[in-house]
Amino acid sequence: MLSSLEGVLGQPRVRPPFPAQKGGGLYREATVVNNVETLANVPWIIDNGAEAFRAIGTEQSAGTKVFCVSGHVPRPGNYELPLGTPFRELLVDHAGCDPDNIKGILPSGGSGPLVPGTDEVLDTPLSYEAMQGLGTILGSASIIVMDNSVDMTWVASKVTKFFKHESCGKCTPCREGTYWLDKVLDRILAGEGQPEDVQLIDNVAKNMAGTTLCALGDFAANPIIHTISNFPDDFNAHVQPKPAEEEPAARPARAGRRRRASA
Amino acid sequence: MAETVTIVINDQEYQVPAGANLVDAARSIGDHIPVFCYHPKMDPVGMCRMCLVEMGSIQRDRSTGEVMLDGDGAPQVRWFPTLQTACTANVYDGLVIRTDTPQVDQARENVLEFLLTSHPLDCPICDKGGECPLQNLTMEHGPGQTRMVFMDKLKLDKHVPLGDLIFLDEERCIQCARCVRFQDEIVGDDVLAFHERGRSLQIITNSDPGFDSYFSGNTTDICPVGALTTADFRFGARPWELTDVPGIDPWDAAGSNISLGTRLDRDAGGRAIIKRVMPRQNEYVNEIWISDKARFGHHFTRSEDRLAWPMTGEARATWAEGLQDAADRLRAAGEDVAIIAGSGLSNEDIYALRQLADGLGSARLGAWPPTHAGADLVAQVGVGQGTNLGELGRGDAVLVIAADLEEEVPLWRLRIKQAADRGILLLVANSRRTRLDDFASQQLRYPTGGAAQFLANLSEENADIYGRLRDADNLIIVAGAEGLDLAGSRALMQVAANILIETGHVGRPNNGLLAPLPGPNAMGLHYLGFTPENTLDIMASPPQTLLVARADLLADDPAAPDWLGRVDNLVELTLFQDTLGGRAQVSLPIQSFAERDGSFTSGERRVQRFWRAQGPVGEALPAWQAVMKIGEALGQARAKSSAAAVMLEMSQRIEAFAGCRYRELAWTERQDPPIGEDLWYGGTALHNRGGLGVQVPTEADSGEVQAAAPELPELPQATNGRLLVLPVTRLYNRERAFRPSDIVAPRVPAPYATLNPADARRLNVAAGDTVEIEIDEGPAVQVQARLDDGMPAGSLALPRHLTTTAMPLKPTAAAVSRIPLPSEGRVAEHDA
Repeated sequence: MLSSLEGVLGQPRVRPPFPAQKGGGLYREATVVNNVETLANVPWIIDNGAEAFRAIGTEQSAGTKVFCVSGHVPRPGNYELPLGTPFRELLVDHAGCDPDNIKGILPSGGSGPLVPGTDEVLDTPLSYEAMQGLGTILGSASIIVMDNSVDMTWVASKVTKFFKHESCGKCTPCREGTYWLDKVLDRILAGEGQPEDVQLIDNVAKNMAGTTLCALGDFAANPIIHTISNFPDDFNAHVQPKPAEEEPAARPARAGRRRRASA
Repeated sequence: MAETVTIVINDQEYQVPAGANLVDAARSIGDHIPVFCYHPKMDPVGMCRMCLVEMGSIQRDRSTGEVMLDGDGAPQVRWFPTLQTACTANVYDGLVIRTDTPQVDQARENVLEFLLTSHPLDCPICDKGGECPLQNLTMEHGPGQTRMVFMDKLKLDKHVPLGDLIFLDEERCIQCARCVRFQDEIVGDDVLAFHERGRSLQIITNSDPGFDSYFSGNTTDICPVGALTTADFRFGARPWELTDVPGIDPWDAAGSNISLGTRLDRDAGGRAIIKRVMPRQNEYVNEIWISDKARFGHHFTRSEDRLAWPMTGEARATWAEGLQDAADRLRAAGEDVAIIAGSGLSNEDIYALRQLADGLGSARLGAWPPTHAGADLVAQVGVGQGTNLGELGRGDAVLVIAADLEEEVPLWRLRIKQAADRGILLLVANSRRTRLDDFASQQLRYPTGGAAQFLANLSEENADIYGRLRDADNLIIVAGAEGLDLAGSRALMQVAANILIETGHVGRPNNGLLAPLPGPNAMGLHYLGFTPENTLDIMASPPQTLLVARADLLADDPAAPDWLGRVDNLVELTLFQDTLGGRAQVSLPIQSFAERDGSFTSGERRVQRFWRAQGPVGEALPAWQAVMKIGEALGQARAKSSAAAVMLEMSQRIEAFAGCRYRELAWTERQDPPIGEDLWYGGTALHNRGGLGVQVPTEADSGEVQAAAPELPELPQATNGRLLVLPVTRLYNRERAFRPSDIVAPRVPAPYATLNPADARRLNVAAGDTVEIEIDEGPAVQVQARLDDGMPAGSLALPRHLTTTAMPLKPTAAAVSRIPLPSEGRVAEHDA
């Protein structure tokens, strides 16, 4: 963002120096970078005091949060609730979802790990620490709900296309990984995938995670890793070997290929 | 010894220089962390992710500062949760890394696998194949098989001309940004950029013409894959077929170390020829960079118009006949003999000429071209022994005056620009705007031709600036000769020398006088007694017999036909046919720098050796040999049998060359940063096996020197509405020796002159108009007008050697008029 403001190519910078340090911010000056949501809390805290703010929410996640609910939701919208409100209250009571028809939830948009729509998840409080306990993140709380009609392979592909488009191209794993994942997912969705392809994309995504300069590499890996771990059947259904008679006559390029064992 | 810190690599403690880059520090103790984007000469960006390592810090108690120990009594290490890039870390006390764990191995393999998913794997036809970091690192760390199995491969444009000289293969590019960063950080010509994003990220050029930089070829060396190739070498040979022969840049005073990549070639009838020119690391001189002129300007060595055999008049002769004829003509003139020697000759050649003149009893030894005086002052107060422009930084100062280093000595411009980035005070004084102004702390202006006066009055009229120069820790003055006649050049050099002496900036490294003297060996001419002042004397009263050695008199001096006409006997040693317009009675062919052994003395007085790289053209001999054979025919000493033997004798007889025997010139030392196999280049051409050369000490290095009163000349004037023609230098021009390099021809500008917009208005000239310049007592030329408000009013810059018409040697008044367009009634005659 700072680079874009400066009018140069939008790529993340090496840190340190961090934006708040001299040399790391806008035009190399120290720069405070915050979400609007964070700053919006400041006037309220000044008016009412920190104690009053801490009284809302949980011990570690104080205050309220604007939850942006979308997807298969009767009443999509932005809901401001205290942090720590259970998932169920937000999605069922406020947004009007059918608790039996929630297949998966992306609690933090496309970038966070996906969680299944189980009772355990629905009873989890929406706080930073509890979400971490589920193995996902609350992040910006742009919650996407998917009902049972959704094919998670399609979700993985959709989200991957988004990150492939968004990748700045600076780091090798993200630039090449999103491109590779997208190609394999297209193949799977087109019905031309091989059984090993599921393991392949899972492994490629895991190789991307934690190796890039900014968090986009992790974000791009998450949807693959967590859709596969939660809904392996969705993927496997696309890559079941076809009955012999449906096999095209000759596919020499694939016939002899070997695969490496997963890392 | 610099301050060191203790780091732990793979459970072993090491002492490394404090603040060093982790990749460099690890490499210095033998742990080669693989990299693609990291380059020791540039800031790290951490984009390729090849250098991922496990990283942590030894924990210290915050209150006591004691190292915290774990249960086993070992220091407690706090590890980063994920792998970190080594290239973006600087070492500090307590840094702990692991480079030999399965996680690190896996990460390296993964990054290579990612890179190879969209790499074309066209190694069998790739110019980089065989010296490719991607190939090498894949062999060492990469996966053995691909999991990227698709019927279709990624197809991108494989022949994108970034400019006339450099081509981009988009498929091979791994987006490491080394080329972009080199142009931006090191050169300051930020003409390359990334375009698009993600997998579509591509290198583009944003200049017109494309890739407009004098250093573009260096990007092909540091490209870690075969994405960038030169128009000269691409598809020309395979790297492993080449023999790298150490050479020296034959174009300018920098004396850049080069490698001439040669192979036995069909195009040369099976004989060895130069296939490419690359830099050779010499951190004192050119680091690992060379100018594009050094890289792409070698074609003259095999051009069609080389003189292949001796000529007497217009007839081909044998060497015996040619030598006898030359000797007869020299003998007939008695002592009325003079020699003009060009600055492209080697030290050995010039020594042979000096011996010949001594034997004949002549002291008329002229240096060509006679444009820059004061080589003697460079010998007196030049930069001290051990000088390295790469060491200049905060607290130091460089004053560049009356020079356009970008065009005259591009490597100095490159290194001074980098010194400016490191915080030196860079003052650029000239009568007009030059490229170095872009990097200057302050630009200073004086009237055209007034450089010596300006500098002489500096302490009084610009006391503040003088004070800053005086108080600088180190001070180098680079004094050119632009806008000056020879007397003016001498005055400027003397004034500059005086300032250096007065302020105590002589006789030590990184202090003293530099001059962009013409050619690669003007200092060699000086040490052997050839001076430009003698040349003016020879021009004023020509001798009965004149020996001209490798000097293009007609191209450099418009008055040459005149004074050559008064010479009875003209003997020439020449690379090319018919350089003196049929005037020479004897023409003897000599070998270029690429065909023979020899040495040059650079502007920093570094005597550097070059080796024979390819076979001679026709019957050409090294100039020293031809000259010594003439001497033999005159009854002088027997000719030496090798250049080494000539240098051996020189080292005994000429004080400056004591210590310059070939064995001593071949001395090398460990250079920092070291050449790592894949640190910046996957091949071996950059390794310096030819020697770092020997820097001749200045008089100030070995004793006291005294300032001397300069003789300040009158400023040149132009009256009656005329303009003062300021002859300037262009790096790319139409000199005889540069013309054969066809690939650079599109970059040589059409003949032009630059005017101040106010003068242009007065003369009713618009940019792009054709103007006629009638130079007083000189030629009239028609050139295209360019307008630049960086030109002083009343002056007109006219580049030398853009036409075959010689430009005046010094500033001269000229009448300038606009040539009407054909539609305006008169047909313009364009000068070639």
